[in-house]
Amino acid sequence: MEYGRIHSFESFATLDGVGIRYAIFFQGCPLRCKVCHNPDTWNFEGGSTYTARDIFDKVARYKPYFKKGGGITASGGEPLLQAKFLIELFTLFKNAGINIAIDTSGAYMNDDVKEAVKLSDMVILDLKFPSEEEYREYAKGSLERTLEFLDYALALKKEVWIRTVIIPGVNDTFEAIDRYVEVVKNRDISKYELLGFHTMGFYKYRELGIDNPLENTSSLDENKLKLLEKYLLDRLNAERER
Amino acid sequence: MEKWQGFSGETWKNGINVRDFIVANYTPYDGDASFLQKATKRTEKIMDKVNALLKVELEKGVVDIDTRNVASILSYAPGYVDKDNDIIVGLQTDAPLKRAVNPFGGIRMCTQACKEYGYELDPIVYEEFKYRTTHNDGVFRAYSDEMRKARHAGILTGLPDAYGRGRLIGDYRRLALYGMDYLIEEKKKDKERLGRETMTDENVRISEELWKQIDFMQQLKKMAEGYGYDISRPAESAKEAVQWVYFAYLGSVKEQNGAANSIGRISTFLDIYFERDLKEGKITESEAQEIIDDFIIKLRLVRHLRTGDYNDLFAGDPTWVTMSETGMGSDGRHMVTKTSYRVLNTLYNLGPSCEPNITILWSENLPENYKKFCAKVSIDTDSIQYENDDLMRPMFGDDYSIACCVSAMKTGKQMQFFGARCNLPKVLLMALNGGKDEVHGIQVAPEGPVYDGEYLEFDKVIDRYLKYSAWMAKLYVNTLNLIHFMHDKYAYERLTMAFHDTDVERLMAFGISGLSVLTDSLSAIKYAKVKPIKDERGLITDFKIEGDFPKYGNDDDRVDEIAKFVTNNFYNDLKKTPTYRNAKHTLSILTITSNVVYGKKTGNTPDGRRAGEPFAPGANPMHGRDASGALSSLNSVAKLNYCNCQDGISNTFSIIPSVLGKTENEQVSRLTLMLDGYFAQMAHHLNVNVLNRDKLIDAMNNPGKYPNLTIRVSGYAVNFNKLNKNQQLEVISRTFHDKM
Repeated sequence: MEYGRIHSFESFATLDGVGIRYAIFFQGCPLRCKVCHNPDTWNFEGGSTYTARDIFDKVARYKPYFKKGGGITASGGEPLLQAKFLIELFTLFKNAGINIAIDTSGAYMNDDVKEAVKLSDMVILDLKFPSEEEYREYAKGSLERTLEFLDYALALKKEVWIRTVIIPGVNDTFEAIDRYVEVVKNRDISKYELLGFHTMGFYKYRELGIDNPLENTSSLDENKLKLLEKYLLDRLNAERER
Repeated sequence: MEKWQGFSGETWKNGINVRDFIVANYTPYDGDASFLQKATKRTEKIMDKVNALLKVELEKGVVDIDTRNVASILSYAPGYVDKDNDIIVGLQTDAPLKRAVNPFGGIRMCTQACKEYGYELDPIVYEEFKYRTTHNDGVFRAYSDEMRKARHAGILTGLPDAYGRGRLIGDYRRLALYGMDYLIEEKKKDKERLGRETMTDENVRISEELWKQIDFMQQLKKMAEGYGYDISRPAESAKEAVQWVYFAYLGSVKEQNGAANSIGRISTFLDIYFERDLKEGKITESEAQEIIDDFIIKLRLVRHLRTGDYNDLFAGDPTWVTMSETGMGSDGRHMVTKTSYRVLNTLYNLGPSCEPNITILWSENLPENYKKFCAKVSIDTDSIQYENDDLMRPMFGDDYSIACCVSAMKTGKQMQFFGARCNLPKVLLMALNGGKDEVHGIQVAPEGPVYDGEYLEFDKVIDRYLKYSAWMAKLYVNTLNLIHFMHDKYAYERLTMAFHDTDVERLMAFGISGLSVLTDSLSAIKYAKVKPIKDERGLITDFKIEGDFPKYGNDDDRVDEIAKFVTNNFYNDLKKTPTYRNAKHTLSILTITSNVVYGKKTGNTPDGRRAGEPFAPGANPMHGRDASGALSSLNSVAKLNYCNCQDGISNTFSIIPSVLGKTENEQVSRLTLMLDGYFAQMAHHLNVNVLNRDKLIDAMNNPGKYPNLTIRVSGYAVNFNKLNKNQQLEVISRTFHDKM
């Protein structure tokens, strides 16, 4: 039997996916995004272990809330790193008719990941940066691998949402948005959301004694975020009509 | 005009049966809110006047008191907000917000209340009441020492022994449908019928009560005449139907100052009259809204004169003019009408408000448009609450209403003997201390040895607790029996009861406070190690907890089962002692705002709560201990068994707007899903606040900035500015669900 290493649960997650979603935050992440507001989920040794059945029993109680697009969201950390476990877990939820979303960086791909994606209903993918250089610098990740994951999910006709965190002084320009559009424009995604960088997770860096590389960066102005998001959506619509 | 022109059905014409009239005539509405009309110029003008008066009231506490004329139906000349422009007329006294003195419950409370606001009760009232026994006199003559001690120690608090018991809902619709003459004739027939039976104690009592009812029904006709209306006949238009219902209600709140005189389930009934007038072209939509607006203004002006002690228990000057809305009919049709929308629209036209206490009888099968409109009103105004119609309908039928916060009753067919609540955490402490009160050190419950042992052992503690809770339950029933005997004798609600069936079914409503504190205490004893610490008197007054334990509010069965167990157990214990007039025992988990006072009177508890700290309100998890998210908290409360708590299980829920979603559409849709999900689990009640904690802190420091800030507490809404500082702090400390 597989054990899952879980950071925490949130019974009323409303920003991840549609409807009311129950979020399961997996422990452990291979990336080191400078914008990460959950550094406490990095360490593979942290969290608590559960069997798939434990989690299913805990979460299935919330089924009455999961109407109209609600369900569970496997988030993290990086849930795909525990793909074997996800297969077991997702099978239980799928059999119970509960909608499954994966919230991931898409940094991982193997047969188990493929199987887990197959079992899911939707994917929320973090598209961190529009170039390999930036990916390496700010996230210790890879654009190529992320896109490989994206194309796999799209090939399976999964509903895919893209998310990008906008960081002041890093990617908060129209020019940056143009470059993101170039990456996704020929891909059939359902939704593209921008999230504003915020400082609410800073205390975790202090508590964990981890160096916070964006310590001197402030939260993104909400109006600016709206402006950029409107620009992004207009550009995507224009591309689609072409 | 023929009195019932255009109305269908027969059964309701051959005997009082409002429900049958509604079912035969109402028009369900599935559309959205787009037909609603804004406030008229007239309404705005009236509201300016009302708001100016409310401002004076907020500053002074009361606008004015009539210290000479004792409250009754004919004590005052007709009063108006604006004589030339009022559409629905009638006030409790001769001027808006002027309060009446009502010494029938007890003259001391009345004197005290006048004094606190800088008034003095007129000597003539003392003179009159010298020769009169009040309800309060009667109760204190009969109280045993044990009852007095339990009251003093604060295990029984808020008992209706010095003010009107309230929690009643007359079927005020009867006046509009049948007219007073018919209702009087029916009561006379009942009295004659009774006279042919054996004259037992009970039948003599009912006969006298019927005489009193008829007397006051006649007086109400006179009162209405003073306003230029003849209510002896049925109402003939929508405006008259509203006016008749209001007169019936007004007479009730003129006569008695019960804690919660609720107005019942009226909008679907009234809609039948509105539909008829609209169809015949007699009124426009704007005029229909204006009538409802003016009616609601009058309901917002209902007041009673209270003391500071009373306000500590029931904060914010509430009157619980609870208005029960919609729900489903037993025939499968929903009961949403255009007038249900018009009622909610008053919260936009007149601004947010605590009263009337609009209560949505929620069903999964209500139309989606209406659900969304309710959710929007909640998000915009925080002024409404929700109760589970799918849970109550099978027990109370489809014509019940809510009294006060969460008490369901078949309208006009059931009444209740209100019973405040009992402090169960304190019972646990007494069980440990051999019946002694841990604060004053006095022997309240039967004497026994103080718990001995290094750690509290669960089995031993439970054994003690069960013994003392059985003692408590018996004393509680007996105390209420005595109170309600005296209330019937000295302060019978003549007019309110006239709008009930003569063979009314009686409920005796007991209550629990501190459920989460008791539950977590027992959980700590069971799952962690709790060391009792004795003081110099040899009493256990503190606890040292070693290790962690599951806490109520996290959807953890280990502890939630304890909450279920203590609730079921207490209810079963209550049922062992018979009640006055064979009332049915019911139980609520509802504290109003008395959780603050109860906390103040209770020492340290084994869950780690410190002495004096407020309890959580109603059935809520303790502040901050429901750490697994909003839904886990809801799920724990949903497990409590309504069958054993048919007087209601109150849950107050606060969430910040951005957690519900980014856009208004998302927020509305998620709130609707949340209500559906909560109630699908047979949960009973939810107060919803969608607001930021920061806003409340700002309001506490700058009351002037938020004149109408309405928030939901334990089953009703209050104006935040009317809470005292302790109550404000307690509200702010409540768990806000703010994870994203």
